[in-house]
This record gives sequence, C-alpha cells and structure tokens, in this order.
Amino acid sequence: MSLADLRLFEMRHVAGLGPLCEIMAERAALGAPVTLLAGGTDWVVEQELRPPLEVAAGGPAAPPLVVDVSRLSDLRGISLSGDTLRVGAATTYLEMLRSDAIAARAPLLARMSRDVGAVQIQARGTLGGNLATASPAADGVAALAAYDATVVVQSVRGERRIPMSALQTGYKRTSRAPDEVIVAVEIALPAPGSPWYWRKIGARRAQAISKVALAGVAEVRSGRAARLGLGMASVAPTTALLPSVRALCVSRPLAELTGAEVDAAVAQDISPIDDVRSTRGYREHCARGVVRELLRQLGAQV
Amino acid sequence: MKVSLVVNGSPREVDLPPLSRLLDALRGPLGLTGTKEGCAEGECGACTVLLDGDPVNACLVAIGQCEGRRVTTVEGLACAGHLSPLQRCFVEEGGAQCGICTPGMLLSAEALLARSPDPSELEVREALAGNLCRCTGYQRIVESVRAAAALRRGGGGAAP
Repeated sequence: MSLADLRLFEMRHVAGLGPLCEIMAERAALGAPVTLLAGGTDWVVEQELRPPLEVAAGGPAAPPLVVDVSRLSDLRGISLSGDTLRVGAATTYLEMLRSDAIAARAPLLARMSRDVGAVQIQARGTLGGNLATASPAADGVAALAAYDATVVVQSVRGERRIPMSALQTGYKRTSRAPDEVIVAVEIALPAPGSPWYWRKIGARRAQAISKVALAGVAEVRSGRAARLGLGMASVAPTTALLPSVRALCVSRPLAELTGAEVDAAVAQDISPIDDVRSTRGYREHCARGVVRELLRQLGAQV
Repeated sequence: MKVSLVVNGSPREVDLPPLSRLLDALRGPLGLTGTKEGCAEGECGACTVLLDGDPVNACLVAIGQCEGRRVTTVEGLACAGHLSPLQRCFVEEGGAQCGICTPGMLLSAEALLARSPDPSELEVREALAGNLCRCTGYQRIVESVRAAAALRRGGGGAAP
C-alpha cells in the first residue's frame, strides 16, 4: 500500500480552462501527463492499492502532478439548449440527481446516478472522471453510450468532439490525447417522454460494481424503433454499444423480432469474462435477459 | 499547502501536503477523532463527514480540495452539551451498537433529514446504503433515524 506516497504529490489549482490546457500541453511535451483530480473515487483508491513509487538512484521518482478540477467552473454545470443537453465533466452524480433539466429531459441519467455507489460516492464522482477512467463497468459511460453522447475535449490545439463510439479504444484506454481535457458531454435528446431503460445487476444495490448493466434510449414510431441507443457495462473490454442489436432492432417492426435472433445479435456484440464479480456464463445469460426486457418494453414479443 | 476551511462552524487552518486525506487532517491536526477510519477505500462509510452539507467519504477527499469548504463531523452534531435529536434517538433506540459505524451513520442521516424531514423507511435505507454496520444491526439504526425525524418535526430539539 502506498498511501504515504500521496503526501509526495504536488497539487495545483487553476483559474480556468485556458491555463489548464497550457499546463497539459507543457507536461505532455515532457512525457509526464497531468492527473486531473475531481472526485477521486477511482484515482485515490488506485493510489492506495498500487505498489509504492519506485525510488530511482539519486532520490524518489517525481510523483505525477495533480490538478484539482473538482470546482473548475469551466467544467461544471448542466444546461439545456433546445434539444441539446450539456453536462460539464466535473458535474457530480448527486448534482445530476438534483437537476430539474435532467429529471425532465434525460431521466436515464438521473436513474443511473442513483445506482452509482451510494450517496457518498454520488456526491464526489463525476461523469468526466467516469469517461477518463474508462472502466468497462462504468455506469455513467453506459448511459452516455445509450444517448450516443458527444464528448467535448479541449487542448491548446483547439476543441475536439468525440462520439462515444470512438472514445474507448481498449480496456481503460481512450482516444483522449495526453494534452486534452474532457470539458463536457453533449446529448441530442430524444423527444420528451421517450422510453428509456436502466438495469444494473450487482451483488447488492448500493456500492456494487455491475456484473452486467444495460442503459437504453429509444424513440418508437408506428411500431418501429426510429432511434435506439444502447450501452452495456461489464461484458467486454470496453463499454458495449451493441451495434448488431441496434441494427437488427431498427431494421424491422419491433413486433416481428424473434427472441432467437435478438439473442444471436447479443452474442455477437459481447465478449464477457469470468472475474471476481461474476462468470462469463452468468453475464451472457443476464445480457440476453436485459436486452429482451428492454425490447419487450418497446413492444417487441421476445 | 495551507488550507483554510470551516469545521463544525469554526474557521480552521491546516498545513499539510495537498494530497493528504481530509480524514487525516480531521483525526490529526484538527484533533477530531470521532470520524473513524474503516476500509480507507470508499466502501464502508465509517469516515463519512458532510462537505458543504453532502455526505462524502473523508478517505477519498484530498485536503487540497477543501479550501473554503464547510465540513461537519460527528463532533459538530451536539449543541451546547446537548445531544442532537439523531444522537439521542440512536442512544434510546439502540442505533449505536459497537459504535464504529455510528459517526458515519449519524452524518448520512443528518444530511437526509436536512433535505427530507419525513423520510420513508426505503429513503432511510437508501440514504444509509453507503454506511456498513459490522454488527449488521440495520433495523435499529433505521428506526433511530425515523424516530429522530419525528422528534425534529415535533420541535423536540433544534437541528445543529
């Protein structure tokens, strides 16, 4: 355990996104990226569990530079503009739970937020942290995948907008460059009152990392899915966007889908493993079950 | 790094490495050992304190993130030598058992009652879901919180 190492770290505060991007650029050029600290619900625990910092000849290795972004106003806030919802990267799950705009227009985000840890974690954890850490088990990432959100990143080179389908590049890896800051996510909202789905399967309701979780957002017109967004957690090295299931379900009237073809599409889209939380077999079983449950809610008979 | 914060209503200053945990600042230089260290990884809730009114795990908050913030610990609940309604009800209803989880339970419950004066049993359980009781005696804890809610609504003691 290297809790003591935390005392070695340097922490800086910045006045805004501009100065932050400059620090990111300087450090990236040195090959020593900055750790952006928001709620610390992943990062602090990781520091505790990893081996002590290596002591190089001539003294301890330079610990990473930590910049506190937990209250950086450029990264905070929830705003609704027409049918676009923008959520700052340093917005906490508790703030999303308390937002009238999210309750009214993005209820899946509110419902998902209730299942992130317990209130102590919801008060600290942020969407940006979830995106940057890029765990395939991340509840927030699954929900953003279902909304087909856009991740807005900024660097001294300018702004870049990353679709969820291009964000995660491997297990806990993203296409964010070392000099880029995740600023916000933007969601093109479905029509008010559109159906949505959230199901998290874990060992208990609070403080559990999912065995499987599924987020879904849909618009159904005349028995057909005009829009279907899906994000499944804990069934692949990255958050699963279930492209085969999406393609199948928008291709025909929902009532014509069969359970067998839905199951086959699910099997194509996931590659679960046995680990400390669950088994491959149970995850496959749950994945089929939650996709079918979601589709039944949309009018399919599967 | 020098950090000024307001602890239980009083301005305090600590001088610690910025990545030191709020938990260590409280139990060390601030001398407030009512906040307990349990798992030290944000699972058990024993170190729960209120940060600007919301429950957080003090083991996951860096002191360098606390400039200007308001922290409430279990020592801040009693007022002028009188136990708060929650503390009284934990004593009277058997909500305090071995005691390790009690300070964290009290603060999670305090945050709940500040926002929701008449919570249902489910709301109480949800609000306490991040606080583990190693005695597994949750029923009495939930009953204590609901009794305190009734006491507060009846004006049986001002909130701290």
